[in-house]
Amino acid sequence: MKKMSATRLIVSLAVVALLYAAAWWAETALGTNSMLITVLKKGAVYALIAVSMNLLNGFTGLFSLGQAGFMLVGAYVYAVFTIPLKRHAAVYQYYNGGIIQFELPLLVALILAGVVAALLAALVGLPVLRLKSDYLAIATLGFAEIIRAVVQWDSLGPITNGSNLLKTYPTFASTKILGTTVLFPMIVAGVCIGLILLIINSTYGRAFKAIRDDEVAAEAMGINLFKHKELAFVISCFFAGIGGALLAMFQGTVQANSFKSAMTYDILLMVVIGGMGSISGSVIASYLYIACSEWWLRFLDNEQFIGSFQVPLLRSGFRMVAFSAVIMVVVLFFRRGIMGDRELWNLRLPGRKKAGRAKQ
Amino acid sequence: MSENVLRLENITMQFGGVVAINDLSMRIDEGEIVALIGPNGAGKTTAFNCVTGVYEPTNGAVYFHGKPIAANHPRGKMKRMYAGSDPEKFLNMQTSMTADRITKLGIARTFQNIRLFKSQTAFENVLIATHMRRTSNIFTAAFGLNYKEEKRNREKAMDLLRIVGLEDVADEKATSLPYGKQRRLEIARALATEPSLLLLDEPAAGMNPQETLDLGAFIQQIKRDFNLTVFVIEHHMDLVMGISDRIYVIEFGKLIAEGTPEEIQNNQAVIDAYLGGNDE
Ligand SMILES: Nc1ncnc2c1ncn2[C@@H]1O[C@H](COP(=O)(O)OP(=O)(O)OP(=O)(O)O)[C@@H](O)[C@H]1O
Ligand SMILES: [Mg+2]
Repeated sequence: MKKMSATRLIVSLAVVALLYAAAWWAETALGTNSMLITVLKKGAVYALIAVSMNLLNGFTGLFSLGQAGFMLVGAYVYAVFTIPLKRHAAVYQYYNGGIIQFELPLLVALILAGVVAALLAALVGLPVLRLKSDYLAIATLGFAEIIRAVVQWDSLGPITNGSNLLKTYPTFASTKILGTTVLFPMIVAGVCIGLILLIINSTYGRAFKAIRDDEVAAEAMGINLFKHKELAFVISCFFAGIGGALLAMFQGTVQANSFKSAMTYDILLMVVIGGMGSISGSVIASYLYIACSEWWLRFLDNEQFIGSFQVPLLRSGFRMVAFSAVIMVVVLFFRRGIMGDRELWNLRLPGRKKAGRAKQ
Repeated sequence: MSENVLRLENITMQFGGVVAINDLSMRIDEGEIVALIGPNGAGKTTAFNCVTGVYEPTNGAVYFHGKPIAANHPRGKMKRMYAGSDPEKFLNMQTSMTADRITKLGIARTFQNIRLFKSQTAFENVLIATHMRRTSNIFTAAFGLNYKEEKRNREKAMDLLRIVGLEDVADEKATSLPYGKQRRLEIARALATEPSLLLLDEPAAGMNPQETLDLGAFIQQIKRDFNLTVFVIEHHMDLVMGISDRIYVIEFGKLIAEGTPEEIQNNQAVIDAYLGGNDE
């Protein structure tokens, strides 16, 4: 691990602080409902989820497709435990107000969302991580589908509300910081991504990368494969759980059926577009992805006229077609993604090529 | 009586119908340099893999300082297919340690087909090998509370790079180094696990004669400096004869000779194996 110089660390932190200030200012100036603020919030949520997936797929080389399942768990844990008691009768109208007769403080519920997802991951990982990694993809995908069905199971209705919506729990509107809604998701995501970075830059992160590079050699160097895979899996799912809870906060309602495998593929695409093994790449790609799908490519869904000429093809749904085409181009021709496995803060500045390296 | 550092007892390794090693028994004593030679495909690397936990032998046992690290007898489908010897002798034995546990006990190795961590620098490759003997946990490591250990490990990794003469390429990608340097990097990485027994699989492969000569002296040097016992597979006969205390020769998975370099050089079975064999 190349040690980051103190100046680079300070500059990076200053840039992050500036971005937060700019986001705050933007919401103050443009209003909470502007498209930019929506993208900033949703982008932050997905950045965290993409980074958590990258920890597993990009840094440890474990191809897992369970992200949506663990997000669902996080979202439900958060929603179930934060719906105000006086709303229970209305939300759980088909289940006599549900059986959970208490509510947790928001931050406690947020952390619990991660913890429950992590515990589930530990259980799922126990059999699956001993297998070859191809099985991991299938097993985690299966797990995600199973959890989605289980949550909607009628017998669990008094807790999960069956296949009905969970709603009226606190959203970003109730976590205002300095009068804006945008800071909370950005700060939570920022702190979580910071923690993941610390792990990746520690001796454990090096062990993860060793496993990714060569399992046989890693094991020969004394790295317990199962223990480290399980660790990476649990950490990744902990943060996916928190990401799921944030997504629930963003949406205002939660319904198990929206956590389909397509959601996992979206996140996988963000990871691939950003670069497998690059945290900053995942963050940038998440924001780009969300901005495109929510905002910049929206016009493709509406009929457009240039003078009296109606632009062909533009109609509802075309946005997804164009989007898919972009993604295919990226996957086919820019397989290393935006960042490859480099990080924004480690990039050599153009004029300083020589100074960056001791030799050659 | 002092225990052998390493003892192989009737090891047979059978892949499907292929018997790669057949009834191999050998012992290595403290402080020895022992070589394992034989024509291509004789089963040398397979023997290393059985010792280091990459493969589970089909039959037989491996002891490290008297303690079994691998023991097995033909089971399941292999019971019918088994074509080796002595399947009854180990019926009551079964030990199957994973490679990382064996490394932790003090056996380190290099690989014939170099297996460096390709996305990492030379320095990081060595540093990763210090992970095993950590005292930190994920929390202390993430928050840098293990900074003393981390600093020690970094110094140790740098020292090892210096010892193998790679300190000037510490920050180069491991796989961008020339062959000979990659092999030395593998040795540094193995040493970072603090072994008492070092297994070298064709350390001179791809080296020129001068490098090979230097390597011999280097192996003897690290053996002394790190108090090692060395078990080496090598095709360069000058190197083998120059540094080995004893030599084992296998052909088609079977032991055909054992002895000092002089004895081996004059052994008719060995001469036949090499002259009649497919060695280049
Ligand atoms: N995983 C495996 N599956 C099937 N056969 C194997 C396996 N590993 C080794 N073999 C076979 O076992 C035999 C011995 O191979 P091994 O690599 O041990 O030879 P070697 O003595 O190291 O040869 P070389 O000098 O070429 O390195 C070969 O016939 C090889 O094909
Ligand atoms: Mg070999």
